Amino acid sequence: MSGARTTIRRRPRRKLAFWQLAAGLIVLFAMCFFGLPLLWLFLAATQTDASLFSEPPLSFGSWENVGQTWTNLVTYEGTQLGTWALNSLIYSVGGVGLSLVAALPAGYALATHAFPGRRAILLVTMVAMITPNAAVVLPIFLEMNLLGLNNTRISIILATAFFPFGVYLAFIYFATSLPREILNSARVDGASPWQVFRWIALPLAKPAIALIAFFSFVANWSNYFLAFVLLSDDELYNLPVGLTSLISGARALSFSAATGIPVRRPEAIQAALLLVLPVLVIFLFSQRFIRTGQLAGSEKG
Amino acid sequence: MRRAHVPAHPPPGRWGVTAGMASGTAQLARALRARKRRNAITAYLFLAPYLVLLLMFGMFPVGYAIGLSFFDTISGAFAGLSNYMLALEDFRLRRSFVNVFTYVAIWVSLMLAGVITLAVIIDMMPRRLGTAVRTMTFLPGAVTSAAVVVLWLFLLDPLVSPFGGVYALFGLGNRFQVIDAIGLASVFALMGFFAYAGGWIVVLHGALTALPEEVMEAARMDGCKPVAMAWRIKIPMIWRSIALMAVLSIANGLQLFVEPHLLGLAGPQLARNDWSLNQLAYQYAFSLGDFGVSAALSTITLALAMSIALWIVLGTRFYRIDQ
Repeated sequence: MSGARTTIRRRPRRKLAFWQLAAGLIVLFAMCFFGLPLLWLFLAATQTDASLFSEPPLSFGSWENVGQTWTNLVTYEGTQLGTWALNSLIYSVGGVGLSLVAALPAGYALATHAFPGRRAILLVTMVAMITPNAAVVLPIFLEMNLLGLNNTRISIILATAFFPFGVYLAFIYFATSLPREILNSARVDGASPWQVFRWIALPLAKPAIALIAFFSFVANWSNYFLAFVLLSDDELYNLPVGLTSLISGARALSFSAATGIPVRRPEAIQAALLLVLPVLVIFLFSQRFIRTGQLAGSEKG
Repeated sequence: MRRAHVPAHPPPGRWGVTAGMASGTAQLARALRARKRRNAITAYLFLAPYLVLLLMFGMFPVGYAIGLSFFDTISGAFAGLSNYMLALEDFRLRRSFVNVFTYVAIWVSLMLAGVITLAVIIDMMPRRLGTAVRTMTFLPGAVTSAAVVVLWLFLLDPLVSPFGGVYALFGLGNRFQVIDAIGLASVFALMGFFAYAGGWIVVLHGALTALPEEVMEAARMDGCKPVAMAWRIKIPMIWRSIALMAVLSIANGLQLFVEPHLLGLAGPQLARNDWSLNQLAYQYAFSLGDFGVSAALSTITLALAMSIALWIVLGTRFYRIDQ
C-alpha cells in the first residue's frame, strides 16, 4: 500500500478513464478470442492423443511427437497427402495463372477503351463479384455434368479462373494509376494496342498483379465446396477435401476411444495446420497490401 | 482511388484529330467511324478470355440452373413449377430457412458489434500497438473451410479447449453439452466471426483513417470526449462501409454449407445433412439424383444472393462503374 502511495505522490497521474479501462478489457478479450485458438493449434500439434487430454491446454509436448504424428499421417494407407498437396498446388497455381491472364487485359480494356457494351460488362462483372461463390457451386456442377467434365482437374481450374473481383481490381488500377500521357505517346510513336498493353501497361501493373494473385490464391487454396462437389475420385482431391475425407474415414475426431487406426486427434490437428500454414505465411508477408481498403470487395462474409 | 487521369469520355480514337479537321467532310466522318470500330474490336480482343470464362462460369450455369428447375430431370419432361412445389412442400425447407436465418441474424449482429467496436478502439490506440492488435485479429482469416471446423470442434470440447475454464464455469462437461448450450446457429456464427472479423476490421479501420482530420480536430476543440466522438462522429461517418459489411455478410451467410456439412467429422451425433439451404439442394442432387428440385432450390438461393448484389451495384455507390 505504501508503495502505491509513494507512486501517487511522486507522479500525480491522470486517472484512467472508465472508457479506457473498458477498451483495454475488450482488446484483451479479443486477443484471447482470436489469438488463443491459433496458439493452441500450433501447440496441440506437439502432443500425443493421450497427452492432449492429460496435459493442460496450451502446453508444449515434444518435437518427437510432431515427427511421430507426421509419420502416422503420411504412412496411413488411406492418405495420399503428397497427391492432395500437389493437386491443391496445381489447382491454385492454375487458377491464379489463368485468372491473371483473363483479368489483366480485361481490366485494361475496360479502363482505357470506350466501346459499346462496356457498361453492361462492368455491371455483370460486379454482380458476379458480389454474388457469393457458394451460390453457383451447384449450378456449375449441373453444367459440368452436362458437359461431361465432372471429376476432372480442368473443371476446377477453369471454374476458379473466372475471378470477377480480379477484373474489378485490374480495372480500378488501370483507371486510376496509369498515366494517360504515356499510353498516348506510345501510340503516337506507332505502337500497336497489344504492344502498348504488353510493354507499357503491364510492367506498371505489378502492384495490381500481386493483389489479384494474393486474393485468387487464398480463395483457391482453401476451396472446399466446389472441389467437394466436382471431384469424386480421391486421386483428384485437393487438400481440404482429402484431409476431411481422411479424418472422417478414420473417425479421428469422434468419441469412440480405440479405433486401432493411427490417425487420431493430433493427426487431424496437423492436417489442419498443413492447410492453414501457407495462407498464414502469405498473410504475414502481405501486411503491406492488407492495410488498403481494397479488401472490401474480397471479403466474402 | 481518385479519378485523376481519367477523362469522363475517353477520346473516340487517336488524338491526331483536332476540332478544326473534323469540320464535316464525309470522308473524315467515315474515317472516324472506322477508327471507333477498330477501337471496339481491340477492346473485345483484350476482353475475349475473360468473356469466355464469364459466359462459361457466370452466365451459363445460372441460366442452365434456372432452365433445369422447370424440367423433370428424371423423365426429361417440362414440369412447369412442380419442382418448386416439391421443394416448398418439403418439410425440411422451412426448417433450413429458419436455421439459416437464425444463423445470419446472430452472425451479422456479432460482426456489427464486434468489428465496429474493435475497429474504433484500434483507431484510438497508439499506432504500433494498434497494428499489432489488428494483425492478431486478421490472422485467423487463414483458418478457413475445413480447418476452421476441425479447430472449432476442439475449441468446443471442454477436455482439450483453451477455453475450458469458461465451459467449467457453466458446468458444461463435454462437447455435446457445449454445442447444445450454445446452439448450432451460434456455433457457426462464432466460427464465421473468428475467421472473417479480421478482414472487416482492416476495412473499417481503413475507412476510419481516411476520415478528415479537421472534423476530428473541430470536435475535440468543442470538447467532444473520445467515446462520444466514436459514437457520434466516427461511426456515422463510416456507415457506408458498415452497411456494406452487413449486406455482404447477409448474402454470404445465406449460402452456408461447409460448416454444418463438416460438423459430422466429430461423429454421427453431430452430423447434419440438411441443416442449411445449400445442404438441402446438395442432398437433392447427390442423394436423390433429382437435379430438377436441386436446381429449383439453387435458383431460390441464387435469386436471393443476386438481388442483394444487384441492389449493391445499382442502388448504392460502393463500387463504381463509371470512371
